Amino acid sequence: MIGALDSLVLVPMVNWDNLFSDIPGHTVDGLTRGAIYALVALGYTLVYGVMRLINFAHSEVFMVGTWAVLGIYTAIGAAEGDPLWFVIIATLLALIGAMLASAGTALVVERVAYKPLRKKNAPPLIFLITAIGCSLVLLEIFGQVLKVFFGEPFGRKPISIPSLVKTRQLIGPNGALIQTDVVTITNMQVIVFFGAVVMMFALDFFVNRSRLGRGVRAVAQDPETAALMGVNQDRIFMLVFILGGAMAGVAALLYTMQFDGTKFDVGFIIGVKAFTAAVLGGIGNLRGALLGGLLLGVVEVYASTLFDSSWADVTAFILLVLVLMVRPTGILGESLGKARA
Amino acid sequence: MAALLVGASLAACGTTDDEGGSGGGGGGDDAACAGKIGAMGALSGPNASIVIPSVNGAKLALSQFLEENSDCDIELVPFDSEGDAAKATPLASQIADDADFLGVIGGAFSGETRATKGIFDEAGVTMISQSATATDLTTEDVKKVFHRVVGYDDIQGEAVATYISDTLGATKPFVVDNSEAYGEPLAATVISSLGDAVAGTDKTQVGQTEFSATISKIEAADADAVFYAGYIAEAAPLLKQIRDAGLEIPVVFPDGVYGADFPKAAGSAGEGAIITCPCVPIEDGEFSSDYEAEFGEKPGAYAAEGFDAMTVFLDAIKSGATDRAAVAEFVNSYDEPGLTKQIKFDDKGDISVDNVVIWSYKVEGDVLVPDQEISLS
Repeated sequence: MIGALDSLVLVPMVNWDNLFSDIPGHTVDGLTRGAIYALVALGYTLVYGVMRLINFAHSEVFMVGTWAVLGIYTAIGAAEGDPLWFVIIATLLALIGAMLASAGTALVVERVAYKPLRKKNAPPLIFLITAIGCSLVLLEIFGQVLKVFFGEPFGRKPISIPSLVKTRQLIGPNGALIQTDVVTITNMQVIVFFGAVVMMFALDFFVNRSRLGRGVRAVAQDPETAALMGVNQDRIFMLVFILGGAMAGVAALLYTMQFDGTKFDVGFIIGVKAFTAAVLGGIGNLRGALLGGLLLGVVEVYASTLFDSSWADVTAFILLVLVLMVRPTGILGESLGKARA
Repeated sequence: MAALLVGASLAACGTTDDEGGSGGGGGGDDAACAGKIGAMGALSGPNASIVIPSVNGAKLALSQFLEENSDCDIELVPFDSEGDAAKATPLASQIADDADFLGVIGGAFSGETRATKGIFDEAGVTMISQSATATDLTTEDVKKVFHRVVGYDDIQGEAVATYISDTLGATKPFVVDNSEAYGEPLAATVISSLGDAVAGTDKTQVGQTEFSATISKIEAADADAVFYAGYIAEAAPLLKQIRDAGLEIPVVFPDGVYGADFPKAAGSAGEGAIITCPCVPIEDGEFSSDYEAEFGEKPGAYAAEGFDAMTVFLDAIKSGATDRAAVAEFVNSYDEPGLTKQIKFDDKGDISVDNVVIWSYKVEGDVLVPDQEISLS
């Protein structure tokens, strides 16, 4: 009885000191975490904005990207401690490889699974269950099928990926650039955050400024009128999957650089979080994905320090519910087609 | 239904006291030396490297036994639960419903064991676990059928605390657990044994890959050692991120991380990590060379414990035990030296504390090297 009471009192041990002693540091951690969510969220949001379809297979599109990084490092024999010029080439190759692999996977999913359904005018529920099916198929291809043919490293075990770029403090107590106790920022956090943000602005620019981007917005606004104006709807759908997949590929490279490993189900949690970020910011809205991802990352880290790390998800989803109660379409609203996006 | 009938028959004849002694042939001499033994645990998945060697150890025990007793027809049937309690339950029913199964080695993990011991108990199937170490398995909801050949987590927890404070000389250890049935109580024991020295604690989640919040707490507490109670899948990324953050303090893991996959998953960050385990290191010897000849690798986690568990069952069947009740009776009165320790179960199914040993291992390159035996005070 006493034990039960004890644990009731002890569970939410709020530790304000932990949070406030290092707010800048936690914010940097949160923004880094959120940047990867945001990049993956773009895939959900693009596809939803144009097709009104939640592509649950997107988490596996990300997963394929992480394996592509491993594949390229293995193929060119990259290892820890390689010279800088080789690291840069290897990383660029891995970036291209991961973007191609992820975009290719997304395209295959669209061609093989969704296109036939669209031709038959299947109801939205069929698309949804197909998406979940694709997700599981891709998951088990890496978890089981490839292992049968190629053996390790495929399968269900966590796999280490060589960390070509060593984590170093840029700013912090042992910082290479600035020595300070105020905040610790590592080279990896800078690479992940700015890598993600640059890619997001590039995508935003592409959708808002280019000819193809105009087509994407036109189909999102009104598919039929867009078709009458000569926009090839099928090609726009393919483009949307390729763009979303490529962003997931970038996220995959950044993820493997930061965490030095992958696993067949690595996409699951990131996928759930990225989808949440997309909804939080306003699904269908590119800038919403950025905002939602960063906000989710920061809230998770704050919650982890305020309570235990295991409270991060609870707090993040309570935030989601609260935001949706006030703004059911997410913080920035949901339209890709409107002038806003 | 079949399970109920078997259970009833067990209750009917389960009252006779042990006849003492072991090995001494009991029942009729014509009794068929035959039966099936199940082995239930994570044979695939991220934690499989903790389980597969022990099942291989059991296979080795069987093949050596069959060489000497060619008239016997005993089969070892592996059941892959992936270490998941939900997947283990139907497997347990499958074993319980097949009257040919006289016993089961496992469950390998504590969660699946907790979920299935009721099913096995009802059917009277004797369980001998090679690696389920949760303390409450033999203290709460006690089931007569459950036995294990390893020490439990309370002992391991105290040993970890002793190692951290005495061997490492840490004065501000930080304790993290995985918020789950294995890690939480183990961490609680370590925390209470360390007492006031504990600089801070945190709880992570199964499936988590990003530990920046935990690491900032470790830094804020200015800890000089870390203990993480959990499994390989989370331990490897946690250790990497601790090293990436520039913390060069010793990190200690329990037997949930004692698998050959851990050094591979942790990469270069794994070097020097310490793992405690109630499993005895296999000296180069007959068992080690036989195992290597059979499976092409050195014996891994709990291989000798798996061998010991299987040996108990084999002795039981050889003694003439042909049904579940007879096997149960034989196992309860067993008292023989095993590879790892003297195998004798108390009335809760545990090995005597005097016979339990806890070892620490160190990661060197791709292998876990025995470091030292931790004294149990």
